[in-house]
Amino acid sequence: MAGEVETDLVMQSHINLDKLRGFVRMYIDKHQYKSALFWADKVVTLSNGETPDVYWLSQCLYLTGQYHRATHCIETRKLHQTNAACRFLAAKCHYEAKEYHEAIEILYWPENNSTKTPEKGLDASVTTANASTDVLLTNVESNVSLLKGKIYEAMDNRALAVECFTAALKQDVYCYEAFELLVQHHMMSAEEERKLLESLPFSSQCPEEEMELLRFMYEVKLKKYDKPLSLVVPATLGALGDNVDVVVNLAERHYYNCEFKDCFNITSAVLNKDPFHSDCLPVHIACLVELKKPNDLFYLAHKLVDLYPDKPVAWFAVGCYYLLVKKNDAARRYLSKATTLDRVYGPAWLAYGHSFAVENEHDQAMAAYFKASQLMKGCHLPLLYIGLEYGLTNNAKLADRFFSQALAIAPSDPFVLHEMGVIAFQNHYWETAEKYFSEALSSIEAGQQCVSVEKWEPLLNNLGHVCRKLKKYEEALDHHRRALILSPQNPSTYSAMGYVHSLLGNAAMAVYYFHKALGLRRDDTFSTNMLEKCMQQLLNELNPCEDVPDDLPIPINRSGVEEIITETVDDSELAGSHEQQPNLSSFLANTSDSVLVEEVSMDLEGSS
Amino acid sequence: MELSLIKKQLFTAQRECCSRGLLQSSKWLAELLFALEEVSCEPMDEGWETKGLEAEHERYLLAKNYFDLREYDRAAFFTTFAKSDKLYFLHIYSRYMAGEKRKNDDRIETLVSVPETSNHYLRELRCELEKRHTADTLDGFCLYLYGVVLRKLDLTLDAVNILQEAIQKEPAHWGAWVELATLITDKDMLSSITLQDHWIRQFFLAHTYLELQMNEEALRLYLDLQENGFKQSTYIMAQIAICLQNLQEVDQAVEAFVQLQKVDLYRLDNMDTYSNLLYVKDMRIELSHLAHHVCEIDKYRVETCCVIGNYYSLRSQHEKAGLCFQRALKLNPNYLSAWTLMGHEFMEMKNTQAAIQAYRHAIEVNRKDYRAWYGLGQTYEILKMPFYCLYYYREAQKLRPSDSRMLVALGESYEKLERPRLQEAKKCYWKAYSVGDLEGLALIKLARLYEKLAEDDHACAAYAEYISEAEALGITDREEQSQAYKYLANYHVRSKQYDEAYTYAQKCTDYPETREEGKALLREIAQRRTTCEPFSGASDLPTPVTDARPAVSESTPLSRLSPINLRLTFTKELY
Repeated sequence: MAGEVETDLVMQSHINLDKLRGFVRMYIDKHQYKSALFWADKVVTLSNGETPDVYWLSQCLYLTGQYHRATHCIETRKLHQTNAACRFLAAKCHYEAKEYHEAIEILYWPENNSTKTPEKGLDASVTTANASTDVLLTNVESNVSLLKGKIYEAMDNRALAVECFTAALKQDVYCYEAFELLVQHHMMSAEEERKLLESLPFSSQCPEEEMELLRFMYEVKLKKYDKPLSLVVPATLGALGDNVDVVVNLAERHYYNCEFKDCFNITSAVLNKDPFHSDCLPVHIACLVELKKPNDLFYLAHKLVDLYPDKPVAWFAVGCYYLLVKKNDAARRYLSKATTLDRVYGPAWLAYGHSFAVENEHDQAMAAYFKASQLMKGCHLPLLYIGLEYGLTNNAKLADRFFSQALAIAPSDPFVLHEMGVIAFQNHYWETAEKYFSEALSSIEAGQQCVSVEKWEPLLNNLGHVCRKLKKYEEALDHHRRALILSPQNPSTYSAMGYVHSLLGNAAMAVYYFHKALGLRRDDTFSTNMLEKCMQQLLNELNPCEDVPDDLPIPINRSGVEEIITETVDDSELAGSHEQQPNLSSFLANTSDSVLVEEVSMDLEGSS
Repeated sequence: MELSLIKKQLFTAQRECCSRGLLQSSKWLAELLFALEEVSCEPMDEGWETKGLEAEHERYLLAKNYFDLREYDRAAFFTTFAKSDKLYFLHIYSRYMAGEKRKNDDRIETLVSVPETSNHYLRELRCELEKRHTADTLDGFCLYLYGVVLRKLDLTLDAVNILQEAIQKEPAHWGAWVELATLITDKDMLSSITLQDHWIRQFFLAHTYLELQMNEEALRLYLDLQENGFKQSTYIMAQIAICLQNLQEVDQAVEAFVQLQKVDLYRLDNMDTYSNLLYVKDMRIELSHLAHHVCEIDKYRVETCCVIGNYYSLRSQHEKAGLCFQRALKLNPNYLSAWTLMGHEFMEMKNTQAAIQAYRHAIEVNRKDYRAWYGLGQTYEILKMPFYCLYYYREAQKLRPSDSRMLVALGESYEKLERPRLQEAKKCYWKAYSVGDLEGLALIKLARLYEKLAEDDHACAAYAEYISEAEALGITDREEQSQAYKYLANYHVRSKQYDEAYTYAQKCTDYPETREEGKALLREIAQRRTTCEPFSGASDLPTPVTDARPAVSESTPLSRLSPINLRLTFTKELY
C-alpha cells in the first residue's frame, strides 16, 4: 500500500498534471487539436479518468471530428448520466454524427435525477479541477434547449424545435443562435415573433443599456416583408448604424420594398467590406437576379463554389444563375444540391419550385412549394406560390384557400392581397376584386410615401381593369396612367387605356392608344381587332371638311364657306364595342395573371 | 432687349452648356454669339470654371474628359457621389448617354425592329430623378435631363411640366426649349403653356410655329429677328429657307439655301432639306454638286447620307438610296427625315411592310411629320385597307389642314370604301379645290364624282370650270380634258343647248381617244337641229351618254397607272 502510494507520489512529483491540463487548453486555443488530444489522453490516464479530464478528452475528439470516439469516451464512463456538461457534449457529438435519436435519448436520460447529478458534476469540477468547466455550465440549460431544438428540427419535428428554441432564448436572452434559427428558418409568423420578443425577459437578465441594444438588434431582424417600414437606429445606438449586420437588414428592407437598385448598392458595399458575409449573400444574389445581372452572378457563384463548396448558399447561387439564364434543368440540379446540403434551406426549395413553374409544370412546382411551406411555417411565400399555381390550373377555390392562409401569416401583404384580387377578378366578383386591390395599394402606400416601384405596375393596371368592369372609366384611366408612370411604354397598359377610351366613346384616343400598343407589340390580336373597330367608329365621326357645307354651291368658286351641319355619331357602333366585353375579360384576366406569374417568380429569392 | 445684354447672356450660357457637355446647345449659342460679333460687350469674369465645384474640380476635369472621349460609364463611375450640381449633372448625363449608346449599338444589327425593352436605364434614371425632384434639389440643367428622360418614356405631360421648370431656372439653355417644342402638339397647347418673357422666347416661338406648320407666323418672327440685330445668323437664314419651302415657295427657298451656302460653305446642317428641295425641283446638276460637296466634308453625317440618298433616288437607284438612308439611321436612329425618306424608298421598292415600319418610326420620333402620316396612308391604300388609309390621311390632313394633296387623297379613300361615302368625298374635293389645288386633280375628280352621282348640273359646272382653268393655263393635252369635253357635249345635247354641244363636240374631235364619238355627236346634233324634235325622256338618249359613263369610271387614276407609280411622284413633291 505504502509503496503504491509512494509511486503515486513519485509520479505526481515528476509530472505536474495541472501543467499538462494547461497544455491541453493552450493547444485547443491554438487550434492544435492533435496536440491537445495527445496531452488530454495522457492526462486522463494519469489522473485515472477524472471527470473534467475525460470531458476535455472528449472535447478534443469532438474538435478533431471523431464524434463516435468522443461519445464512446463519455458513455463508457457513464459520465453522461452524472455530469451535465458531458451529457451535453455527448449529445452534441451524436447530433453531429446525425444520430438524432441517441442524442435526444441522452439529453432526456437523467431527467429523473437531474436535480442531483448536475450538482454532483458541478461539485466535482469545482473541487477537483480549475474553474475551466464553469464557463460551460453557466448557461447549460439554454445550451441544452438549443441543441434539443436543433435535433428536433433535423428530425423534422418543427413544433418541438420551436418550443426548444424559444425556451433557449428565454433562458438566455443573449443566445442569438436560437433567435436566428427561429427567424431565419421562418418558424414563426410575424405576429408570433413579435409576441416572443415582447415576452423575452430582458429586464431580469441584462442591464438597462444592453436591453435597448438587444431589443433593437433583434427587432431589426424580424419579418420585414409584410409591412416594410423604414429602419430607424435609436440615437443612443447611433454608432451601430454602420454595423454590417444592421446595414444588411436595411438592404433587405429595400429588397422587400422592391427597391432593388438601392438594395444592390448596399449589398455591394457590404460585400466590398466583407466579401463573403453570409447574411448578405442571399440578399445580394436575389438582387442580382432581380436586376438581371447574369454575368456578375456567374462570377460570384463560381467564387462561392470554389471557396465554400459545402455551404448551401454557394449552390443556391449557381442554381439562381441557371434560373436567370433560363436553363431550368441545370438550375434544378444545383438547387437540389443546395437542399441536400441543408435540408431546411427554404429559399432553395422555393427557387426549385420556380424552376418548374416557369415551365408550366404546375404539379412539380407545387410539390416543391409544399416542401418549402413545411420547412418555413412562418413564411407566407410558399403558400402564396401554391395558391398561384392552383390559380393557374383553374382551381380558384383551393387557390383562394391558400391565399387566405398566406394572409393569416402575413396580414396586409400586398402581394397576397393582389393575388386574391386576381382570383376574384377571374370569378367576376368585381367588387371583391376591387376591394382586395385597393387594400393592397393602401398597404403599400402605408409603408412608403408614394408608390414608385415598377413591381406594382400590374396592381395598378388590374385596379384599372376592375374599375373598368365596374364602369368607373375615369378612375380606371387614372390607375392606368399611374401604372404607366411606374412602367412606361408598356403595351398592355396602352391597350387597356385604349379599351377604356373606346368604352367612353372616345374613338380618337382609343385609336391613339391601340396604335401605341401595337407599335410595341405587333402580334396583339386584341389590340388589332379593337383598332379596326375603333377606326371604323372614328371614321363615322371623322369630318375632314367641317367648314364645307353639305349642299355644295353651283357654280364652284373659291370663296363662300358656309355653316356646317355636323353629323351626329352613330350609336350603334358604340353598342357594338360593348358587346365585345365578355370576350375581352378573359383575355385581360389572363394577361394580368401571366404578368403576375413572372413577377412573383422573380421575387423568390427574397424569402431567404 | 439690348443686344449687348443678350450677348453677355449668350456668353454665360454658352460656357455653362459647354462645360456640361451639352454640345448642340452650346453650338447653337455660339453661332448666335458669332452673329453678334460686332456688338460690344463687357468682358467676362474670371474663374467661373471652378465656381460651385470647389472641392471637386479635379474630379470634374477627369469626368468631363472621359465624357468627351465617349467613355460614359467611366465618367459616371467617377462622379457617383457628386456633391455639386454640375458634377451631378455630368453623372446623370453620362449615364443617360451610356444607355443611349448601348441601345444604338444594339440596334445596329436589327435596324427595322428595335427591342423596346432596352430602355431600362431610362426607368432607373427616372426613379432617381423623381426622388431628387420631389426633394427639390435639381438645378435647371438636371431638370432638363429629367424632362428628356420623361419624354423618351412617353410620359409627355410630366415632361412638359418639367421642361417648363427647367426653362424657368435656365432660360438661356436652348436645348430645353427645343425639347419642349417637340412636345407641343398644336396651337392650343402652345398658348396654354406659360413661358417666361425672355429674348430667347422669340426663337422658341418661331421654332415651334415652324414645327406646327404655321409657316407664315414663323416667317414673320424670323424676319423680325433678322431685322433686330441677328442679320448675320446662319441659323435664322436656314430657318427662313425651311419656312419658304413649307410655304411651297420653292424658288425662293432654293435661293435662300444658295445664300446660306455662300456664307457658310462647309455647313452640313439643313443640307438634307436643301437636297429635298432640289429633288422636288428635279435639279439634277445642283443635287449632284451638293452631294459631292457634302460627301467631301464629312461622309458619315446623317445629313450627308440623306443628301446622297436623295441623289440616288433621283437617279432611280433606289437600292442604293435605301442603303444611304439606312446608314443615316445607324448614325442617328432618331433622325426623323431619314426614316421618312427610307419609307419612301421602301415604297419604291414595293416593300410595303418595311415602308410601314419606317414611317411608324418617323412618327415615333415626331408625331408632327405629315409626310410620314401621308406615306402610311399610301401604303395602306396599296394594302387595300381603306379604313386605315383614311385614318392616316386624316392625320396628315390635320397637320396641314389646307394642303390640297391630303384632301384629294382623303376624297379618293372615301370613294374606295366598301360602302363609299361619296358625300364626304365630294366635300373633300370641293375643299381641296377651294384651298388652292396644287396638282389640278381635285376639280376633275369632283366632276367625275358628280357625274357618277348623276348630279348633272353640278358635274357640268365642275367640268366647265375645269376646262376653263385648263384653257386659261394653255393646257390642251390632258386626257381628262377630252373626257370633260365629251361629257359637256352630251350634257348640252340632253338639255338641247345645241350651240354649246356643238362647240364641245368639236373639241372632242381634237383628241384621238374621243374623235369618233365627237364625230358621232356632231352628226347627231346636226340631225336634231334639223328635226328640232324635242326628246321626251332620258331613256331614249343616244348611246354616247351610256357609253361615256363606264368609260369615265374606268379611267380613274388607279387604272391608268399602277398606284405606286402615281403615288410616289406625288409624294416626293411633298417636301
